[in-house]
Amino acid sequence: MELIPLLKQVELFQGLTAAQLEKIVAIGTHRTVPEEAVIFQQGSAGDALYVIVNGQVEIRFDQPEGGSRAGLYMGAGQLVGEMALLDHGPRSATVAAVGGEAAFIRIGSADFMQLCQQDTAIGFTLMRNLAMDLSFKLRQRNYRPSSGD
Amino acid sequence: MIYKVSYVVQGGEYPGGIKNETERPKVGDTVQIGRTKFTVTEVHEIMPPRDDFQFLHATIRPQFDEAGT
Repeated sequence: MELIPLLKQVELFQGLTAAQLEKIVAIGTHRTVPEEAVIFQQGSAGDALYVIVNGQVEIRFDQPEGGSRAGLYMGAGQLVGEMALLDHGPRSATVAAVGGEAAFIRIGSADFMQLCQQDTAIGFTLMRNLAMDLSFKLRQRNYRPSSGD
Repeated sequence: MIYKVSYVVQGGEYPGGIKNETERPKVGDTVQIGRTKFTVTEVHEIMPPRDDFQFLHATIRPQFDEAGT
């Protein structure tokens, strides 16, 4: 599958040239998983970030009384797993495909960080875009709509 | 233009979502978040556009609420 057109639809890669996107392709792996497949589990070690290119995933949080609760749904173009990539902590949630199969690009943490250090122009753009994405997610989490009634 | 949309559900009983759209959502549109269909009730810009992206909040309501069930 040609990955560059998919990467151009993702905010994380905005501002990168075609040559720079080729370097991303070189460290990314395209995968498709069936509905309900778990991409990673809460509490596991974070060794990669995932860019959703098709379908939707559910972000689930373990509950103290057992089971889990859906906290957010993420669709095409969104990042999951970036927190553990940045802070090296365990996964903060479980991520699973919902509503059908989901396709994503997996980028290993070590490869990602090595690319950022080797090519600081790419590194600056990716880190700025990651910060923008985290800012967007924080605004989404903080937003409280009016009742609408 | 790509629209990065934060979908937030009125009442807070359902999780919201984030996804990219190729068309700007409009009031009255139907959107599926997870397993549930919702109606868009409000759309506004979160922050200024950057490159090919616009950043939007869309408030949504579950469609079965509209049916009174």
